[in-house]
Amino acid sequence: MGNSKSFFEFEAVVSSWDILLKGFAVAMFAATLATALAIILGLVVALMRLSTVAIYRWIAFAFTQFFRGVPLYVLLVWVYFGLAIAVNINLSAILAGVVTLALLNAGYLSETFRSGILAIDSGQIEAGLALGLSKQVVFKEIVLPQAFRIVIPPMGNQYVDAIKDSAILSIIGVPELMRESQQLANLYYQPFEFYTCAGLLYLIAVVLVSRGTNKLEKRFYTHSAQN
Amino acid sequence: MMSNSNYKFDWNVIEKYWPEILKGLIITIQISLAGMAFSILLGICLANGKLSNNLLIVRISSSITELFRSIPLFVLLFWIYYGFSLKFNFALTEFEAGVLALGITGGAYMAEVFRAGLLAVPIGQLEAAYAIGLSKMQSSMFIIFPQAIRIIIPPMVNIYIGLLKGATIVSVIGVSDMIYVARYVSLETFAPFELYSLVGIIFISLTLSISGFVYLLERKLGRSKVDG
Amino acid sequence: MNRTTESYIEIINLSKSFGSHKVLDNINLTVNRGEVVAIIGPSGSGKSTLLRCLNFLTRSESGEIKFQNRSWSLNSEGKRYKGKKYEKSLSELRSEVGMVFQNFNVFPHKTAVQNVELGLIKVRKMTKNSAREIAIKKLEQVGLGDKINQYPDKLSGGQKQRVAIARALALEPRVMLFDEVTSSLDPELVGGILEEIRRLANTGITMLVVTHEMGFAFQVAHRIVFMDSGKIVEVGTPDEIRNSQEPRTRAFLSAIL
Repeated sequence: MGNSKSFFEFEAVVSSWDILLKGFAVAMFAATLATALAIILGLVVALMRLSTVAIYRWIAFAFTQFFRGVPLYVLLVWVYFGLAIAVNINLSAILAGVVTLALLNAGYLSETFRSGILAIDSGQIEAGLALGLSKQVVFKEIVLPQAFRIVIPPMGNQYVDAIKDSAILSIIGVPELMRESQQLANLYYQPFEFYTCAGLLYLIAVVLVSRGTNKLEKRFYTHSAQN
Repeated sequence: MMSNSNYKFDWNVIEKYWPEILKGLIITIQISLAGMAFSILLGICLANGKLSNNLLIVRISSSITELFRSIPLFVLLFWIYYGFSLKFNFALTEFEAGVLALGITGGAYMAEVFRAGLLAVPIGQLEAAYAIGLSKMQSSMFIIFPQAIRIIIPPMVNIYIGLLKGATIVSVIGVSDMIYVARYVSLETFAPFELYSLVGIIFISLTLSISGFVYLLERKLGRSKVDG
Repeated sequence: MNRTTESYIEIINLSKSFGSHKVLDNINLTVNRGEVVAIIGPSGSGKSTLLRCLNFLTRSESGEIKFQNRSWSLNSEGKRYKGKKYEKSLSELRSEVGMVFQNFNVFPHKTAVQNVELGLIKVRKMTKNSAREIAIKKLEQVGLGDKINQYPDKLSGGQKQRVAIARALALEPRVMLFDEVTSSLDPELVGGILEEIRRLANTGITMLVVTHEMGFAFQVAHRIVFMDSGKIVEVGTPDEIRNSQEPRTRAFLSAIL
């Protein structure tokens, strides 16, 4: 194992384990926080798109189109190196990264939520109204719980994408897994080992999240069949 | 948080440097198209593997797809360009490494699209083709493929949009794409905001026009949908 | 039966179009308290639309609907109600008017008893415990006492429709609307649901029943409304309709019976 001629040199990776794990934790923190923010924002944008007020619909539509169209890297560079410098804000890298990631994911999630809400059979809404429930109660008690089931898988996918995309935050210096791996790879001059290790850690995170999503979906799916 | 900015907006840089930026754009498009071609090839292989009768081949293809989908493009790019090429003494240009990384990621997504497209064609179509005496090859070429392609094209273009967006990160390994150009020009001109804004606007117009194209295409293909 | 001659529901000059297609064309109908009215007619004659107008799931563009002399369409100045406040007030009307649908529309994410107690908790503002008590009683009444904790996907079509009936009845409505409630059921389940409605008819509740089950309609209804192309062609007792001289009614009945 300690042989420097071996195919995969473990020593440096193992001795840097704590740094890598800390980087991994930062990556997961950024991705999770960004996804949580994106869910809230995405729901607001989805509701705006379904609003009867035209101006809300337009703002929401523009939001969705913009953030689905712009690449994370471009937006990140623009926010951190362009905007922050131009208006002279002191933006921390992690904040800039999480907010940018959240905005992009909110763009995608708003579409997911919108189609989830629209997928609910109108008969369900009518049955609620016919009982005398208010529109708000119908939305909260009948539409939202059923839509939630529909959007679990795409929401899980979005979380997976956020984890993968979080690697890009390294370019603005967020001390996440990829950033730490780059520095260690340069320090020990072992890029193959460190990037393989980084790849494995992302793989584990992604597989765990996918499994979790499947479990969650199955638990809810039992009673989700229409009627 | 905000203080008086000393930043001097200078929109003239755009007028002066847009040809350079455009040259960067062409590289981005080239790299994404090459990556797409690679994705299609890999996707076809993996999809066929997943639909194979041999359980072992199915397992292997599924695992490879899963693996390629799970590794961030950014990590893959570094792994290929710095890790793999150094370890195996395999000299790769930045451009080639970029194409490879995009192709591997895209191929994993394409595999699922191809598989779904082929499965969407009802089995009766194949039986009908055999019944009129077409060979297996002929049936695939003239009956299954033309029907599957309508289902495949819209998600395929969406994957391309993803690759185009993904291609923006290749500047980190030194490909002189749009962002790379914007960065070195901004070092010279101290106008990062203007230059990155231009890059952003170019990108949004590009992705939005392609999405608009997919939307129209889906509507057009939807009208002549495959039916059982 | 406590049928009265007190006019309970009044439909006055009601019209509704979808695009250029007139689904309801100047409908006038009065229903008395305790009366069971069956609405029959060919598909697309506007029967269901008329029923849906009564609890404002579908909005008519002209005409008026009154419950116990209170107009729910026009204000005291004769203008059509609209706006948020009016929408809210419709809850009050709808909680007095129970409706059962062709496609059941039970809530798939709620158990049978949760389906039934939802209105009691959210509309009648009952505590969870007393709502549950009533919900269980109502489910027992429709023969689902052993299914109270089942989710709808574990229930047959007939059982789902029973849940839907119990859900509507739980609010003690004064009027029940049945919209082709047996049309999506397997033939062997139709009888049980019709029996349920028949029992309800004997309790003296006011009911409007849109149905294709002619035998049932003629047996249970006090009056029958025959509709065609968005118009009421004829209204009468079952005997009157059976012996009608009106050519369209005769053609429809001879084709069906």
